[in-house]
Amino acid sequence: MRRAFVAGAASVLCLAGAAADDDLDRIPAMTPQAAAPALQTPQAVYLQGDLALGASRKNLAVQLAPPPSWEARLFLDTRLSWDIGSIVLAYSGRLNLRAEDGLPFPSRETIRNDLREAYAGWQDAGGLSVELGRINLKSGVALGFNPTDFFRTRAVVEPVSADPTVLREDRLGAAMLLAQQVWAGGSVTLALAPKLAGDTPPYANDALPSFDPMFDRTNARGRALLKASVDVFDLSPEVSIYEENGRTQFGLNVTDGIGAATVVYLEWAGGARASLAEAAFADGVRTGVLPPAPVLPVSAARGFRNDVAAGVSYTVPPGITVTLEYDRHDAGFSGDDWRNWFGIGAANPSAAGPLWFIRGYASDRQEPVARDSLFVRFDWPDAIVRDLHLTGFVDSDLRDGSGLAQFAADYYVSPEWTVGGLVDLDIGGRHTDFGSLPQTATMLFKVSRYF
Amino acid sequence: MYKALALAVLLIAPAHAQTAQEIVAAADAVRNPEKPFRIVATVIAYKSGTAVDRNVFAVWSKLDPATRQFRDVMLYTDPPRDAGKILLLNGSNLWFYDPASRQSVRMSPQERLSGQASAGDVLTENIATDYTAAADGTETIPDANRRQRVCWHLELKAAKTSATYNRIEYWVEQKTFYPIKARFFADSGAPLKTLYYRNFVRIDDRMAPAQAVIVDAVDPSLVTTVDLGMPQFEDVPDLWFERDYLPHLKAQ
Repeated sequence: MRRAFVAGAASVLCLAGAAADDDLDRIPAMTPQAAAPALQTPQAVYLQGDLALGASRKNLAVQLAPPPSWEARLFLDTRLSWDIGSIVLAYSGRLNLRAEDGLPFPSRETIRNDLREAYAGWQDAGGLSVELGRINLKSGVALGFNPTDFFRTRAVVEPVSADPTVLREDRLGAAMLLAQQVWAGGSVTLALAPKLAGDTPPYANDALPSFDPMFDRTNARGRALLKASVDVFDLSPEVSIYEENGRTQFGLNVTDGIGAATVVYLEWAGGARASLAEAAFADGVRTGVLPPAPVLPVSAARGFRNDVAAGVSYTVPPGITVTLEYDRHDAGFSGDDWRNWFGIGAANPSAAGPLWFIRGYASDRQEPVARDSLFVRFDWPDAIVRDLHLTGFVDSDLRDGSGLAQFAADYYVSPEWTVGGLVDLDIGGRHTDFGSLPQTATMLFKVSRYF
Repeated sequence: MYKALALAVLLIAPAHAQTAQEIVAAADAVRNPEKPFRIVATVIAYKSGTAVDRNVFAVWSKLDPATRQFRDVMLYTDPPRDAGKILLLNGSNLWFYDPASRQSVRMSPQERLSGQASAGDVLTENIATDYTAAADGTETIPDANRRQRVCWHLELKAAKTSATYNRIEYWVEQKTFYPIKARFFADSGAPLKTLYYRNFVRIDDRMAPAQAVIVDAVDPSLVTTVDLGMPQFEDVPDLWFERDYLPHLKAQ
């Protein structure tokens, strides 16, 4: 018995030794150390081709023309900057070549350019910077809905994905003067964006201009933002005041890390504003798209309305990060608004256009129609095999349980090439938020080449 | 100066005089310069002996005298799809800045980034600050180049909830205080990876490892080498470690 124990212990020791040797066997031989690469300001240029296929819903509760069944696109995405002493020049844009079901080819719609950013900046060594031009200014710590991202409205053009994290990457900046002072322990930022163009209604997908900066989307009104952040208790709080046409909104961002695997965050914005239905109606009348009589009963009252996003992210082995976020949007559709939207749409088919205008207005402004939503997202780098990145999310309207679900996969074939795909599903009954949309599913395949 | 004297006392004192915590602190001093510095680190991932991935980072590090922990700003320069992304570690705060969205997002230490699982291996950290060490005897082990080294075998437990690992096994050479090997464990107790330091070279007035080699315990065919490069000692302003400064960070 004792001999057996000793033999067993010896074999364990041998195995342990073998494991250590195995480690050493796998280590590549030391090669002469190459000289460190010279540092340059990183530039980003990539070419992407994608094909999207869509399935439309039959028997819509409120009638709308079906969306295109396919779209093919090739685009060159460029993000460049040049440093000349303390001066910075920056350009960011996307040149699109596209074709889609129902769109004449070639036509004015075939070639389009999105000028995301073009600005000149100056910064000193003390943390003061001033930038002038078209600038993408983003705010917010939440993943699904960013109440304090005040410059998000109307800024997204032809998104590749409905994923909110992707929407933030491809949008038009606003022409503005941006001044910022950063110091060890905090920062203050001031943005002044003047009115440069008249207001326009949301663009139809087949009526986008070819080479036009579209300042009507970003600078149709004078806007100002002042925000400040300080390092307190590791919470990184940021407060903001936003002014647009005499309407003031206040904002707050707070985030904290708990332990080695958890991040919690809270984002809030509030101020006197109209409901979604009222704001959409007023916008439609102002831009000449809607008749003066509202299609839905709306109140002109401008009460104090809150937008809240509260979430927690948790990382579990082997590196899957799951985020759970509750979103509240006071201005969104009430139960009465939904009943009216479906009721009027069913009783009066001629009202379908104005009714869908409200939904389109919300989408154009990146504003949820739902008052209460649950956003769940997972992110899994190096999933199953190295260089495979899986992501997915569900954005659900808590009133009716309907939702948008997306599953996406990217595979980094090489440092230069990436292939990927995604599937979007709009889930819910025909009298629900997402189940009433004209598309049921979208599939997208893409190939990207980085330079 | 005071720290340098303390380290000198540690290095010349008899082995039995050191506590486990002092040994870890001395090994930290071998790995990490006291002065602010910049390195260009090249990380190469090998699959079954074949190089499959290469990342290059510029890293600026500066010791926070209040916490004795390093603050790091890490700029991705290669591959092209990641160029311009920045990771900021300031105390327990970890931020990721993406130039595509011009936005900084808070991360947890265990969160991983797309295609950049190796990023955390490049950040400068003082282990003694976040872990409690206990001595577990003397062992003679082969280093990454199969040279036998007489080491203290140390058992490290997380002393802060923000520590990335719950448990680390650590081997520090007795004669030199060189960090030779470390094995990292998941909360479940399963080994995650084994790290070796090698190629100790003279940098300024001290010897420091020029390369780290990481053998993955979950997929043993995966090995990562981290060439740490020669540090450039230069002033790193405190405001560089502010998340709102990240869009203004320049490579030069």
